[in-house]
Amino acid sequence: MITVTINGKEIKLEKAVTVLEAARSAGIKIPTLCWHEQLEKYGGCRLCLVEVEKMPRLQTACTLMVADGMIIRTETDTIAEVRRGVLEFLLINHPLDCPYCDKAGECELQDLVEKYGLTKGRFREQKRKVPEALEDPVLVRNMERCIVCTRCVRMCEGVQGASAISVINRGGHSHIEPFSGGRFDCEYCGNCVSVCPVGAIMSRLHRHSYRPWQLGSETKTVCPYCGVGCTVVVQVRDDIIKRVVPKLGTVVNNGLLCSRGRFGYEFVGNKERLTTPLIRKNGLLEPSTWEEAIRLIASRLSEIKDKHGSNAIAGIASPRCTNEDNYVFQKFMRVAVGTNNIDSTARTGFAGAQGFIENIFGQGATGNIISGLANSDAVFVIGGDPTTINPILGLQIRACSRRGGNILTVGHMKGLRYYTPLELRPSVNTEIALLEGIVSALMKKKGPPGSHPVLEARLKDLNAQEADLPRICGIQGKDFSRFIDTLAEAATPSFVIGKDMIQSKGGSYGLFLVSAINYIVNGRIYLLSERANEQGLLDMGCAPDLFPGYRPITYPEFRKRYENAWKTGLPDKPGLTIFEMMEAAKAGALKCIYVMGENPVFNLPHTKDVEAGLKNLSFLVVQDIFLTETAKMADVVLPALSWAEKDGTFTNMERRIQLVKKAVHREGMEDWKILSEISSNMGVRMNYSDAEEIFGEICRVSPLHRDLNYEEIEKGDAIYPYKGEPLRGSTDEIHIEKSAGREERGKLYLRVERPLFHSGTLSRKAPALVNICPEAVARISPATAAALSLKDGDIVRASSKTGALELPVAVDEAIDDSAVMLSNNFQGKGAFSLMEYEIDPVTKAPCLDSNQIILEKVNR
Amino acid sequence: MERVLLKNIENPESADINEYKKAGGYKGLPKALGMQPREIIDEVKKAGLRGRGGAGFPVAMKWTFASADPKFPKYLLCNADEGEPGTFKDRPILEKNPHILIEGMAISGYALGAEYGYVYLRGEYPGAKDVLNRAIAQAYEQGFLGDNIGGKGVRFHLAVHQGAGAYICGEETALIESLEGDKGQPRIKPPFPVNVGVFSKPTVVNNVETLSNLPYLIEIGGEAYSKIGSPDCPGPKIYCVSGHVERPGVYELPMGTSLKDIIYDHCGGMKAGRKLKAVIPGGISTPVLPPDKIDCPMDFVNMPKHGSMLGSGAVIVMDESVCLVKVCFRALKFFEHESCGKCTPCREGTGWLRKILGRIEHGEGVDGDIELLLSVAGNILGKTFCPLGDGAASVVQNFIKHFRPEFEEHIRAGKCMVNG
Repeated sequence: MITVTINGKEIKLEKAVTVLEAARSAGIKIPTLCWHEQLEKYGGCRLCLVEVEKMPRLQTACTLMVADGMIIRTETDTIAEVRRGVLEFLLINHPLDCPYCDKAGECELQDLVEKYGLTKGRFREQKRKVPEALEDPVLVRNMERCIVCTRCVRMCEGVQGASAISVINRGGHSHIEPFSGGRFDCEYCGNCVSVCPVGAIMSRLHRHSYRPWQLGSETKTVCPYCGVGCTVVVQVRDDIIKRVVPKLGTVVNNGLLCSRGRFGYEFVGNKERLTTPLIRKNGLLEPSTWEEAIRLIASRLSEIKDKHGSNAIAGIASPRCTNEDNYVFQKFMRVAVGTNNIDSTARTGFAGAQGFIENIFGQGATGNIISGLANSDAVFVIGGDPTTINPILGLQIRACSRRGGNILTVGHMKGLRYYTPLELRPSVNTEIALLEGIVSALMKKKGPPGSHPVLEARLKDLNAQEADLPRICGIQGKDFSRFIDTLAEAATPSFVIGKDMIQSKGGSYGLFLVSAINYIVNGRIYLLSERANEQGLLDMGCAPDLFPGYRPITYPEFRKRYENAWKTGLPDKPGLTIFEMMEAAKAGALKCIYVMGENPVFNLPHTKDVEAGLKNLSFLVVQDIFLTETAKMADVVLPALSWAEKDGTFTNMERRIQLVKKAVHREGMEDWKILSEISSNMGVRMNYSDAEEIFGEICRVSPLHRDLNYEEIEKGDAIYPYKGEPLRGSTDEIHIEKSAGREERGKLYLRVERPLFHSGTLSRKAPALVNICPEAVARISPATAAALSLKDGDIVRASSKTGALELPVAVDEAIDDSAVMLSNNFQGKGAFSLMEYEIDPVTKAPCLDSNQIILEKVNR
Repeated sequence: MERVLLKNIENPESADINEYKKAGGYKGLPKALGMQPREIIDEVKKAGLRGRGGAGFPVAMKWTFASADPKFPKYLLCNADEGEPGTFKDRPILEKNPHILIEGMAISGYALGAEYGYVYLRGEYPGAKDVLNRAIAQAYEQGFLGDNIGGKGVRFHLAVHQGAGAYICGEETALIESLEGDKGQPRIKPPFPVNVGVFSKPTVVNNVETLSNLPYLIEIGGEAYSKIGSPDCPGPKIYCVSGHVERPGVYELPMGTSLKDIIYDHCGGMKAGRKLKAVIPGGISTPVLPPDKIDCPMDFVNMPKHGSMLGSGAVIVMDESVCLVKVCFRALKFFEHESCGKCTPCREGTGWLRKILGRIEHGEGVDGDIELLLSVAGNILGKTFCPLGDGAASVVQNFIKHFRPEFEEHIRAGKCMVNG
């Protein structure tokens, strides 16, 4: 126990902390500027100088560690004088443009000067003049205001790990600049904006359109983008979102955000939002009324049901909608329509992969705490760059590396390139062979753990030879050995699996192999999730074979339970997956699809096929916030409320249930409300008064959510099963279909890029994100560029079996020589339009890695 | 006193290893290798050797801290970033007598258990770089550096790293940052370099002159060494004298030689018999002394008692023709330029002081400027991250303390009383 005395108050401490922390723990405030709780200590601003007995000089409280018996004074006349002096120094070159500066009102310098500073300036000379840097579309730098506390630099380097900015020059000429010069060439996380104590680095999105004290309402909610589920605070003025900011101390993202979360909110107020229901009349979508639209949908659904049976209707749920929306959606489909034809784009990877892994290791096996990654001693990454797919999770991997953990990747992960000591980069479509090699080598080295006989039985025949790897995968023996040694020695390894792994030929077998590796070294699995409520949607039973709470519909006792709860009979046959829906639509067996908050034309591979299927329907309903590619084909389009305009819950990839709260008002109905109106019109009454009431029902129906309520969720740590039944254990059977992709040497293969700045439909309606990353490009390796005589910016015609696009190329050293990377984010230029697929027999996910592509230069 | 550090430098080939050996060099190292590392540190302690960089920290104490740290490898850095204005005492060693430094580093490395050493060389000493590299190559050839020094299996490797011209890199933690490839800015202490230094390993940083004392110290033994010069901080000391004396230059004298003797005896007195006006005794950061205060022994212990510091032993002598406002202004220009920008008082304060001094110097001073200077200097002194800011503040304070009328006259008359 350490005892220190601060301002006469005795403070007892368990362990040595800084004087500043000790003072804070006792409620004694010491002013600071360069100090920030998330950042490495710096000691530069000198505001926190305090007197310590027996020390001749004043000491900075932020750097000095307490020692037993230390006597400290933080408020003396001398110290007041020192603070005045330091603030005076900061102000001599700081412009007094508070009336014009957006930071005024929440500026730490302003607050401190108000409290401690001089009232009159003694500086008679010229202040430093630096023009505001407006070259960047999103961030504006005002270096006159910069006080060189370097919080932004330490954030960028030490926490975000982007190392994009630095202090340039020396002494009084010091200022912050991106290495790239005027424009930022960075990850646009904006975390530098969060930590800047003054108005030196600010967001341009809301420039000069508010004063901090006018941000009347602040709503703590969940980010609408990816499956990490960061806590965000939405700040609103006059019912318009002005800012989305993180909050310190929150459990998932603790004061950090990524570009999408921070700058991607503008879609909410986008003028292109749908405002009224649209009904197709004479081939054109015409504005209509809610009454007409709802009546039309109800009668057409009933008609199709009567004529072709319930199974002629299918529904596509949304990983962007709340649990409540999705719960009502599946209930509507099962009860009012009477079908299990319910699925979502989670089928493109997450759903099947999670099911597969849970089957081996038990339910919840993929729902591990994200911050735990930083504490792992090794992280194995395969199938996608976590720093772009789930950026905040990616930061935890970088943190792991910084704490001395080893990052092991299969394939090249650009966002981890400075953090990856060990990278195995197998040649195209040979991951399976490499994984077999890793399993065999680990089995030899560590032996079978013996706790999972079913899994081990499956490993018996596996005997990949290390010596074959250089020939098959192009992996060098010494790299492989280091990789294996590191993995084998890890005590707390984690495995991060991305979609590319799942969407490859033999994906389920690959998943099995990664699971086996995980089993041998006793790791934890993280399954990357691209959508905010991908997990929640599955929890809610938006799957053709599962009721809410993952209860299989084929078990009569479970079905009985839901029949009782919903007071109706329920269909007992599993429904169609989203891909089967498209097939059935093309074949004419399916007559109607009801789409809620999804854009299958764009978000499913083989666009032409999807379009053909949807065209063949007799009735297509799309409920969305924009007139998407899919909505344009619909017979009825219903405008929904966005994430910011409704209450509800999202469940993140950790299985953490979090409240989504209404931040702005908008005319219209929540997705669940629209569905209940239609249901009631079809004679199945649903009269929920609000989302909370629906959640109440969910908690009664789903065994995983038992005893949960909004109040409990608000407290923060609602991870299911809350007080409910334990999760299911593993089963006795592991279904494996051995299969692997083939490489034709010299061919180029199309790969889906999952960029940091986009997420598909929403992000392209957010101008800031479009400004950062405005167009689709085909990324190719320098070798490919050389072979085809292409250079950056050249326009190429990219053609595959299913279509062709014209777009510029970007030469990127991170790309494999056999790959062409194209994102699926830009209208009319999506990678999926060039892809066909076959379905993995086990996960039912599409295999996309066999799409060959030809690039030809277009001369203009 | 017979010269030790600058022995033989009149010989044009003094930097050559054979000449060095001919003059008695490379005798301390073999003797040291016959001792236990602990015994060497004890000898250094007995000798009372203090660091010659300016602070006068006891060398044996620093070494004991570093050798007690169990982390490995350890590093020995030679601070050859001689940048203090007025200072050129290390330069003759580096350019004329490099082997004494190499031998000293090899001895120190052995004593510390450090197998790697770097000479962090001032960016503006390109000549020294070539000399050092040649000398290091010779030392490797003859087995005074390498994996098997003196055939005893002792390892010590040495390399030269040239700085980019920043004064702050003479501060040991900034030097380490710079050596690691980062921007030269001081680090938070503790941890001290002896525990967490370069590449996060235990590191000793010693000045060129300090390390060059080792061969002789070991050769004659700590006891005998402690008899040279001041009893409180013994040994030979290089004083470098510039300014208005008859014979400016480098003088190796026993530590504690009186400042007065240095000027009037060794340097032949004031140039052309002009009157002494002021002396800066230890480089620009040390307090200036008026003529009546120069009868003081130049060592680490006595100078503070006489109102100044030994610093680097760089004596700057100024006669009546010098405008001290201008000197003060010029000094602050230096500090402003060299401030690294890490901490507020130094980054902002040095520039502000320079601006006020500039106004006074250019006849634009106003009443209250002297008080303002003292107040701003007071707000810097003792509040900065490292001693650079203290140096700047104390220059202003001491110039005003001793020569206030000159500042007042500048402000009153709007011009210089010396040069019109």
